Amino acid sequence: MLSSLSLFLLSAFVALASAASDYHEQLLLRPLPQDTLLASFNFRSNESQTSFEQQNFRYVPRSLGQILQHAHTQELHLRFSVGRWDAENWGQRPWQGSREGGTGVELWAWIEAESEEQAFARWLTLTNALSGLFCASINFIDATKTIRPVMAFSPEGDHRNAPNLHLLHGTLPHEVVCTENLTPFLKLLPCKGKAGISSLLDGHKLFDASFQTMAIDVRPVCNLDDGNCSLEMEQSVDMVLDIARSKRPRDNPIPRPLPVDQIECDSSKGYNAHDTCFPLNKGTEPGWTLEEVFGKPLRGSCPLIEDSDDTNSVCINTPPERTVDIKSDGEFRETKFASDTLRCYKLPVGADFDLVLPEQKMTTGLNRPDPQLFAARSINGHGQERGSTQAIIKNPSTTEPVEFVYLESLPWFMKPYLHTLRAHVDSSSESPIKETYYRPALDRHRGTHLELRMVIPPSSTLTLTYEFEKAILRYTEYPPDANRGFDVAPAVIRVLSPQAADKQGIYIRTTSLLLPLPTPDFSMPYNVIILTSTVMALGFGNIFNLLVRRFVGADEVPTTAGGLKGILQAKVAGIKAKLGRA
Amino acid sequence: MAVDKQKALLFGGAAALRLLLFTVFPGLPSLLAGRVEVSTPVTSFKRLQEGLFLYTHNVSPYDGGLYHQAPLLLPLFSLLPNPSHHPFATNLVFVVVDLLSAYALAQVAQSGTAAVSRLFSSSRRDLRWSSAAIAAGFLYNPFTVLTCLARSTSALTNLFILTAMAKASQGASITFTLALSFAAYLGMHPILLFPPLLILLYDARAAKSKTAPSAWSFTITHTLGLTAVSGGLLVASALLTGSWDFLAATYGVRLLLSDLTPNVGLWWYFFIEMFDSFREFFLGVFWLHAASYMPGLTIRLHKQPLFVACTLTGIFAVFIPYPSIADAALYLSLVPLFRHLFPLMRYTFLASAAVLYASFLGPAFYHLWIYAGSGNANFFYAITLVWSLGLSVIVGDSLFAALRDELDVERPELKGKEVRRI
Repeated sequence: MLSSLSLFLLSAFVALASAASDYHEQLLLRPLPQDTLLASFNFRSNESQTSFEQQNFRYVPRSLGQILQHAHTQELHLRFSVGRWDAENWGQRPWQGSREGGTGVELWAWIEAESEEQAFARWLTLTNALSGLFCASINFIDATKTIRPVMAFSPEGDHRNAPNLHLLHGTLPHEVVCTENLTPFLKLLPCKGKAGISSLLDGHKLFDASFQTMAIDVRPVCNLDDGNCSLEMEQSVDMVLDIARSKRPRDNPIPRPLPVDQIECDSSKGYNAHDTCFPLNKGTEPGWTLEEVFGKPLRGSCPLIEDSDDTNSVCINTPPERTVDIKSDGEFRETKFASDTLRCYKLPVGADFDLVLPEQKMTTGLNRPDPQLFAARSINGHGQERGSTQAIIKNPSTTEPVEFVYLESLPWFMKPYLHTLRAHVDSSSESPIKETYYRPALDRHRGTHLELRMVIPPSSTLTLTYEFEKAILRYTEYPPDANRGFDVAPAVIRVLSPQAADKQGIYIRTTSLLLPLPTPDFSMPYNVIILTSTVMALGFGNIFNLLVRRFVGADEVPTTAGGLKGILQAKVAGIKAKLGRA
Repeated sequence: MAVDKQKALLFGGAAALRLLLFTVFPGLPSLLAGRVEVSTPVTSFKRLQEGLFLYTHNVSPYDGGLYHQAPLLLPLFSLLPNPSHHPFATNLVFVVVDLLSAYALAQVAQSGTAAVSRLFSSSRRDLRWSSAAIAAGFLYNPFTVLTCLARSTSALTNLFILTAMAKASQGASITFTLALSFAAYLGMHPILLFPPLLILLYDARAAKSKTAPSAWSFTITHTLGLTAVSGGLLVASALLTGSWDFLAATYGVRLLLSDLTPNVGLWWYFFIEMFDSFREFFLGVFWLHAASYMPGLTIRLHKQPLFVACTLTGIFAVFIPYPSIADAALYLSLVPLFRHLFPLMRYTFLASAAVLYASFLGPAFYHLWIYAGSGNANFFYAITLVWSLGLSVIVGDSLFAALRDELDVERPELKGKEVRRI
């Protein structure tokens, strides 16, 4: 077994080489267990602060830059995510989770404003503008979905010149991320998906991945020596592809079993016969090429990249034993790093480039670093009235305690009872909660915001539970698919110690939750209005009938024949009396 | 002495029953506290616990959507040990509250104002139950027992309402004003009981002093007293919580019905299904409707003020925004005071059958809707309609009996004869 650097260090290592240039892009490929492939795309562009203020845009797109200026946003983080990172099998997250979002859309930004109200008004401007830019429902991030985190996020950029910064955070866990969000994302890139590694990004493959997250991060970066500031925009896409699934041709995407005579059978099974077959597990790495798994060829280098000798656009992280063949008509260059476990390629200009990895039986593998924490969250209980949430967080390290912040942002109709909050560590009886920040929800105005700073001792498991009640809503407040349930945003975990190597931090997100609420009958508002009013009218009519009328003996009432005849007789008598008087 | 022994046995038995249920079924209080029939958003003990937790951790409980109860409950209950670990003290408080309520009810029965007041004396006044029997009817009413076990704070509101009635019928001005202010402070709607109980108090004072005090000065003094005490309570609450936010979170929620949690009343489903543009209009109509009974009843039946107060509690049990079985328990325990009206009531069977039907089917239909998923919201809604109808039939029927009873005194020649309303 070869020891290898962590994935994060690898990407940081490659990225640092050309951080100073104005535009830089890089793709890091890394085969994961269970025949999956992690592809991390990273695009970074810089713009000096002066040219940004003069609206002189080169690599940072004008559309986004003007939105940021208009909304007085100093730092922006936007995420579109689908799927779940399987930490048990895949290990540490790409970029330590700092470029990842919760399921759906997640947005947080540092906004410059005089007061909280002004900050919120600018936040609404920002969400509405981004909603138009990215064809997403970001404009639905209103006061009920916005929180102001206290401990869970800290700015990545240098904000020495901006004193009145307000951090706002919003999530849309129900948002379905799709091709219409990818197209504007690619349009922000200088090469717009026509050349460079972005030419591999295709909606069919990206949104078919087991896990994918698209991120946009804008932050000011200042040079410590000369004090020159610039605006750095980073776009990244991380996806985990199932190789067998991605290799299916687009015109025939349904997997069909092979004819039995073409399958290699495991003859060691007792039931193996001419008509029964257990497919043989060959224990080999599957063969693939870039064009097969991404469905598009890689169209050479993006010409806007600053040309230098150490510009490596495509890197692959495999054991040195793995055969990697290159198919290209143009001129490319291969460099090896980190005891040959990282092979990087400088792409040819104007010619296609492809990596070909044949099927191969491997004797060595790479060490998969464990994440700092494993986290899972679920809803317990049954019925549509109440329930409880349970988060299980595990520290796999045998030596280091882990300190972290746990952030929950719950919708207002899920009402947690904080007095039932229990945190329990299996290895000690001491309470792991060191600090709590809680802002309760207000009906229809704001959601719950809970932040906990906790510590887990080495190799222990923390169980966090709290009970909640489900509110019943007005019938117009339910979505059309009311009985599907409501999505609850993922919990965000930020690891405080062991500290991250850079300002981006270490983050872990749980999956989102589906919360079924009690539903009224949507078909009968009129019936309800009528029936309730009837009961009220019976009570009111009965009581006031008794109150305003007078009792007399039954024999004292003037006897007239009842029914229509009586009424007619009375009328006739009345008319006669009138005529007589006249 | 025989009577005292009987009462001691009665109260002791009721306390023992409650404490036994608390001890034998330790899960029962939290189960009942979660039942929508027993605990409403404005009386739930679980929400009180949450409010207490936030209060003791220096978070304003009114800056959230869960706690809608009066601020002065917070320091009171924070004196007790944490009920999730040591529930005995809290349980004991609720048992004592029930016993005090029963004691107040027995005092009302003892005063005999139900059948004989200053201006009116029923021809059937000899037909009455003893105060012990009426107190037993309150203490062993299953609805009261369930309310006590659920530790719902409406038990406190009921205690203050009954105390106000007892003190009014005894002519004790100051304690009456205090008790009614507390009831109104905790529940808001008991303020509507002020006019009938003021008449009751006036009658009692007039009977005591032989020379009737001036009606105007009497009214003005007591109104000012009530305003002063209620204002004092509100100011104390504001000082305690540091702001006036509690007004919107307690009385505002009752007025505007922002929390639509199901209960046994008529409002919740109506306002779930209401069109948004008509919401404010119907909120106004519903409140106007609930408040409209007080002047009508007080004017028509001013000779029998205790009956008016009792009927109003029945109307509250049906027509206020967040009623629970605790409100019905209060009304159903007050009705036996008017034993002399029972022979004149016509729909006793229908009403009691409807109430029993609703009591048994309500929890079942709620289960079908929320847990089993085999029924929808209309099942439980239909049961709340039957429940409301049953209670309003009792209210209307007893009102008919009271008016008929008055007629028998005014025109003795019609006694036993058929009458008509014109």
